[in-house]
Amino acid sequence: MTANIAKKTATEGVGFSSDAILAKVNPVHMPRKTLVDNNRDYRWITQKICGIVEEKTPRWWWSCFLVALFVASFTAVGLTYLVSTGVGVWGLRSPTNWGWAIVNFVFWIGIGHAGTLISAILCLLKQEWRTAINRPAEAMTIFAVMCAGIFPVFHIGRFWYCWWMIPLPNANGIWTNFRSPLEWDVFAVTTYFTVSLLFWYMGMIPDLATLRDRAQKIWRKYFYGILAMGWRSSVRNWSNYEMAYLMLAGLSTPLVLSVHTVVSFDFAVSVLPGWHTTIFPPYFVAGAIFSGFGMVLTLMIPLRAIYGLHDLLTQYHIDNMCKVILATGSMVGYGYAMEFFIAWYGANAYEGFAFINRAFGQYSWAYWIMLTCNVFSPQLFWFSKIRQNITLVFIISLVVNVGMWFERFVIIVTSLANDFLPSSWGYYTPTVVDIFTFFGTFGLFGAMFLLFIRFLPMMAIAEIKAVIPRGDPHYYETKSHK
Amino acid sequence: MKLKFTHPEPTENDIVGPKYWKSLEEVAETPEFRQWLEREFPSGASELEGGNRRHFLRIMAASFSLAGLGLTGCRQDEQHMLPYSKEPERNVPGVPLYYATSMPSYRGNIPLIVETHDSRPTKIEGNPSDPYYGGATDVYAQASILDLYDPDRVERSYGANKKGLSKAEVYDLFKKIHDTYKDGGGKRLAFLSEKSTSPTRDKLISELRKVFPGMIWAEYEPVDHDNPLKILQKEFQKHLRPWHHFENAKRVLSLDADFLNGECGHLAYSRGFAKTRRIKNVDEAAQMSRLYMVESNYSITGGMADHRLRLGASQIPAFTCLVAAEIFKQMGGDSKLVELLEEKGKGVVVNGKWIEECAKDLIQHKGESLIVVGSHLPQEVHFLVLALNAELGANGKTVSYVEIPKVEAQSISELADVMRSGEVKTLVIMGGNPVYNAPGGLDWSSLQQKVEEVIRYGYHFDETSLIANIHIAATHYLESWGDGRTWEGAYVPVQPMILPLFEGLSEIEVLGRLSGKENSDPYTMVKETFTELYPKHSFDEWLSVGVIRDEHYSSADIVFDIGRLKEVLTDAQLTPPLLSAENLEIRFLPSSHAYDGRYNNNGWLQELPDPMTRLTWDNAIIISPKLANELSHQSGINLIPQPALMNKMEQMELNAAHFKKGKEEAYIGEVSLHGKMIRGPIHVQPGLADYTVVLPLGFGRKEVGRVGMGTGFDVYPLLASNDVLTIANAALKVTQDRYFLANTQEHWSMEGRAIVREANVESYQAKPDFVKKMGLESHAPSNYGNAKNDSIQVLSKDIPRGGSVYKTPDFQGAQQWGMVIDLNTCTGCSACVIACQSENNIAIVGKDQVLRGREMHWIRLDRYFSSAEEDKSALPHDPQVSFMSLMCQHCELAPCENVCPVNATVHDTEGLNVMAYNRCVGTRFCANNCPYKVRRFNFFDWNKRHAGHFYEGPFGPAGVNELHQMQKNPDVTLRMRGVMEKCTYCVQRIEEAKITQRVKAKDSGNVLVPDGTIQTACQQACPTSAIVFGDIMDTHSAVAELKTGDRNYSVLGYLNTRPRTTYLGRIRNPNRLMPDYYDQPLSRVEYETRYGHETHHEGHTEKELHAHEA
Repeated sequence: MTANIAKKTATEGVGFSSDAILAKVNPVHMPRKTLVDNNRDYRWITQKICGIVEEKTPRWWWSCFLVALFVASFTAVGLTYLVSTGVGVWGLRSPTNWGWAIVNFVFWIGIGHAGTLISAILCLLKQEWRTAINRPAEAMTIFAVMCAGIFPVFHIGRFWYCWWMIPLPNANGIWTNFRSPLEWDVFAVTTYFTVSLLFWYMGMIPDLATLRDRAQKIWRKYFYGILAMGWRSSVRNWSNYEMAYLMLAGLSTPLVLSVHTVVSFDFAVSVLPGWHTTIFPPYFVAGAIFSGFGMVLTLMIPLRAIYGLHDLLTQYHIDNMCKVILATGSMVGYGYAMEFFIAWYGANAYEGFAFINRAFGQYSWAYWIMLTCNVFSPQLFWFSKIRQNITLVFIISLVVNVGMWFERFVIIVTSLANDFLPSSWGYYTPTVVDIFTFFGTFGLFGAMFLLFIRFLPMMAIAEIKAVIPRGDPHYYETKSHK
Repeated sequence: MKLKFTHPEPTENDIVGPKYWKSLEEVAETPEFRQWLEREFPSGASELEGGNRRHFLRIMAASFSLAGLGLTGCRQDEQHMLPYSKEPERNVPGVPLYYATSMPSYRGNIPLIVETHDSRPTKIEGNPSDPYYGGATDVYAQASILDLYDPDRVERSYGANKKGLSKAEVYDLFKKIHDTYKDGGGKRLAFLSEKSTSPTRDKLISELRKVFPGMIWAEYEPVDHDNPLKILQKEFQKHLRPWHHFENAKRVLSLDADFLNGECGHLAYSRGFAKTRRIKNVDEAAQMSRLYMVESNYSITGGMADHRLRLGASQIPAFTCLVAAEIFKQMGGDSKLVELLEEKGKGVVVNGKWIEECAKDLIQHKGESLIVVGSHLPQEVHFLVLALNAELGANGKTVSYVEIPKVEAQSISELADVMRSGEVKTLVIMGGNPVYNAPGGLDWSSLQQKVEEVIRYGYHFDETSLIANIHIAATHYLESWGDGRTWEGAYVPVQPMILPLFEGLSEIEVLGRLSGKENSDPYTMVKETFTELYPKHSFDEWLSVGVIRDEHYSSADIVFDIGRLKEVLTDAQLTPPLLSAENLEIRFLPSSHAYDGRYNNNGWLQELPDPMTRLTWDNAIIISPKLANELSHQSGINLIPQPALMNKMEQMELNAAHFKKGKEEAYIGEVSLHGKMIRGPIHVQPGLADYTVVLPLGFGRKEVGRVGMGTGFDVYPLLASNDVLTIANAALKVTQDRYFLANTQEHWSMEGRAIVREANVESYQAKPDFVKKMGLESHAPSNYGNAKNDSIQVLSKDIPRGGSVYKTPDFQGAQQWGMVIDLNTCTGCSACVIACQSENNIAIVGKDQVLRGREMHWIRLDRYFSSAEEDKSALPHDPQVSFMSLMCQHCELAPCENVCPVNATVHDTEGLNVMAYNRCVGTRFCANNCPYKVRRFNFFDWNKRHAGHFYEGPFGPAGVNELHQMQKNPDVTLRMRGVMEKCTYCVQRIEEAKITQRVKAKDSGNVLVPDGTIQTACQQACPTSAIVFGDIMDTHSAVAELKTGDRNYSVLGYLNTRPRTTYLGRIRNPNRLMPDYYDQPLSRVEYETRYGHETHHEGHTEKELHAHEA
């Protein structure tokens, strides 16, 4: 079957004499990987994905959800304490005026990266394997950005004035400072969040309509009915949908690059040795994709096991994700190496010291954790045996996330702790409040993700259907051919 | 008090005459109004429905006022209120008034000018009218204003069982004492007092003596500086004191004399010394003075030294003999004497060449050289040095001997003897705190308890008050009349700025009452003294100027007898003890935080980092790296951290202390001496004499206010006598216990970075532009591009901004502010830090927050050590020290400004980097991006919440102490939590000067503030005038002239931040012939070895560099 498709594609451009040429050339058949195993049909797919939403709420879900809420309360308590008492409850000090909060911000934003990449860039590049993971990845993006957003908003000294970062006309004629990378962050992150949310929601409309149509209970009918926005699955609907989807994909594509580029400007635009480097934008983006894919794997592997989604999320998908991780992990490793090279090549003593200090100074433990997790651990994905061992993949995906957290920690804290004047050097350690506030965001993320899988179609039903053999308009023709 | 802040009685006219009505009552009296009211429906009432709000309110007001009229009968007596239209003389609201006064001190009163706002003193400044101090102050003077507003000060007098005593009762008490002892002629009555320079007090004491001839008057200072006086008295039968003229000295040898900080007259000496170190160019560099220092501790004077020899204080007497022998030998003196001296100097292990060359240098500058000796050293040494100075022709040139007034007083040990015999029935303790700080040998507290009646006059309720029968509350010097003399002998007033805040009495009032005066008004007494002493001078002028100019003690000629010297020396016991890790010497020093304990409750001083150790809130057992190594070896406890990888890679010097998560974790040591033992944390201090243990006094108070409670440990128990502040035979044991010390500077090394740029006189002469050839900017093309040779005026205003897209700040203001800090004269005394704190309402954060690295000082006085020692992974034993006071640099292209998302930190048109606190949301990005790390963040509501309760948030106690509130400078905003703050160049002073100038200018248009009018708080306090501030657009301003000098450089200039605060490179003046001579200052050596700059670029000609830039 796949051979036929390949054959057909190959013949398309060649014209009438194709058969003769083909016979002459005798092309090797490159079987395409199937994206849904066991030759599942439409009905099965619909049943499978809708079933997750429609089944009785499983007990594990409730326990997970309650645990997640409990964990999330740590953030709530931590932030309440922070706002009521002062930023001093965190471990910040001079010269390390940014600590875990900004580390966490960059960490979560980075995680949010894979979603858009999968939805937009892979869509434009017609990478059909994205269909199995784009929906949860987008959801992950949105929730991760929400978690990320907490930190820059709350880390400021006077939380109640955080709205001053928004350029609003006021009587004093004071505008925000458009030269500040933090201001760019405001725009970059809000844009990213808005577009991601739109993209996610729009992509869900056909599936929401499916859920609506299958709904047995009146509240479900209304709930999904409203969300489906009157989708009738008409050709006109589909035509508009496809166009809008493509446009949003086009819009989001630069965002994939811009958000983390802008976030990296928080550091690159400064004068600090270790921050002031031009390599940051590409290397932050690579790192973000790296961590994003890590998180997708972390989320999807358990879900796959719980809901038996092996036919939809195949080894092929996992393989691909592992390869992306391998590629981006290596890019990140290249970034680390290049930083060192430039620090030496630049002959700037402060710069040189900053990097040697990173690797061998007081925070070297963090540096080596980072290097192990980010550069060495993904190298294991060169081996297909490892890519096929789901447990190992899951563990490495966790390791990648840990490593990326440490990367941000290393960049932020080591550069600040030992900068230009040795007299002001200091050592930063987080407090319990720092730690719990961050810990709580996992609860928040988890709770939101659990709500997502409970109430929304976890995978893109319509899109998956389009990539199965039956989705090919010529499927039956070719079949009869055979 | 000069001004009466009472309103004049209302005149008839005020009350009856036509005027605006002041109250509704008043207006209600007019017939028209009454008539209008009494109509049932006042006109306009019908308009209510039309919604005329104004009318409605009028009606309501009228009704209320009528209601009020009805009730007046039940109220208190009617009192007249008058508007504040007739204000007290010269009091313009919002404009501060300045009064001259002086801070009483045994070391010489410090003449002051005090800024008052609405009659609250808020800031202490030095009085520039005094020719010797010239406006200099020290940390204690600067911080003394906080004591006035100390909430823990005694508010009233107390009798037995802490029963409050009214002022009248106190007077009765004094009368009773007077009456009781009058008949007996003062038998069994004793006084113990602090020393003072007040002529009025002296007069009262003699009056007291007349009434009570049999009384005991004893004086006591825990840190005594009277050794030179005693020997001079003995030898010349006159009350003489040496007065050093450092301004005339080209060569100085200091024998353990910290004359820039610890010794008496330190402020005048700092000023004099700085004069010989302040150089404008290469030519003047040749005229620079040279300082040889031999010392046990690492004092800030040692920091200024060109040659510094570490030697235990107990070795210094013998060492002095060796120096003397050498000098006499070289000058062809009496060979017998030389022999004697060499004999006496035996046992000191020291490089003979050092002494030889030093002596040679001193002799070569005969008449311009000077030897000074620490007042803690034995009297014989003082006598010997006196002889040496005479021999070196110093008398009358670099030193003179002045006759000072003398008060007959007994010592505390003499008094103690009498007390022990039970001869004292009533003891009056005037100030001081003997229970805490009397030498441990006296066992004062049990002696005091034996006395039947102890009356304690003091400012705080302290250890002594606790076991006294009666505590009489004292006033602060800013709220009481008095007088005194400066170290040089100028007569200065102590003028109150404010009526006593509480029911206290001044010292002279107490003495006056005790001597039986019915009217003991201190003002009258001071005026009397003044008129007696200076009948031709005007009292008012004296008060307003604050000093009688050109007045000083008259110098006496002394004839020195060399034979007498021999006699003195022959009898003297100067043999140095053999010091080792088992036989240590203790050096007791007043601490930089609490002095002898009297400032223990002063938060500013407690939080002020010690210039050398950088410790706050504690004292420590300070030992040398060598001793630390040996003790570590013995005990197996590592006092010095193990070298880490970075140390071994020679990328970073070894820290001097263990830092655990950024907090200095010190091992507790036990110092024992003659069977007594004290415990305290050990701090390793590079540069200390090997076997000297420095113990700062003034900590570990038992009965003290909230600030001082729990700080440090008490070392007085080891102190045998107050005139022996050095003692050998001590032992130090290290224990496993640990303690966190709040150290504000973790790292002592500059790491070879071109931060403090230094040269020796010779290398400076060879390369006058050495500062420009250091640092990364020497490699990079000039930041200013083609305009690099333009004048600073052009550069600062009309930018070559490096082709920046942004026409960054608009520097179109007529005046452009800038600052220069001369590293050559900055001694590191830290007066600027406190002056800044006082002027700018900078919060105290407490030890816990300092440990967390959150101190708020706007000026950070960085201290770096640099060494030439081979072993880079060990601590330096003999480092040079470099100080650099670092505050906001007011960069023209400020990295903090472009990263603030809300435009809270921006530039003004006059080149200031200003901070809009109200706009700040606290992202802290500015602080991160500040390469100088001079921005300070309010992590908590320091000003609203109480120290120790910061973490309780809204549940903790809130509110500002009323007394503390009074100290605040109303011209400076109090910052709330969550905002960033930093040095503003005292923008409030700039603005005030500009307004004054504009008022003065009227229509003339001459609105430029003249140079020297604006003095920033730090500049004003600086005893060595190392800080110069002014307008750099004015080519003749002091600051512009300094900025065009060849030593001017910007810290981290390569970042192109273009700071407005620049530094003048430090020049050391070592003697080429000395054994410890280095071609370059050690910081420079470190720089060269680390970055190999000099060798690398030696071949570059000026032309090549230019080509490079083009």
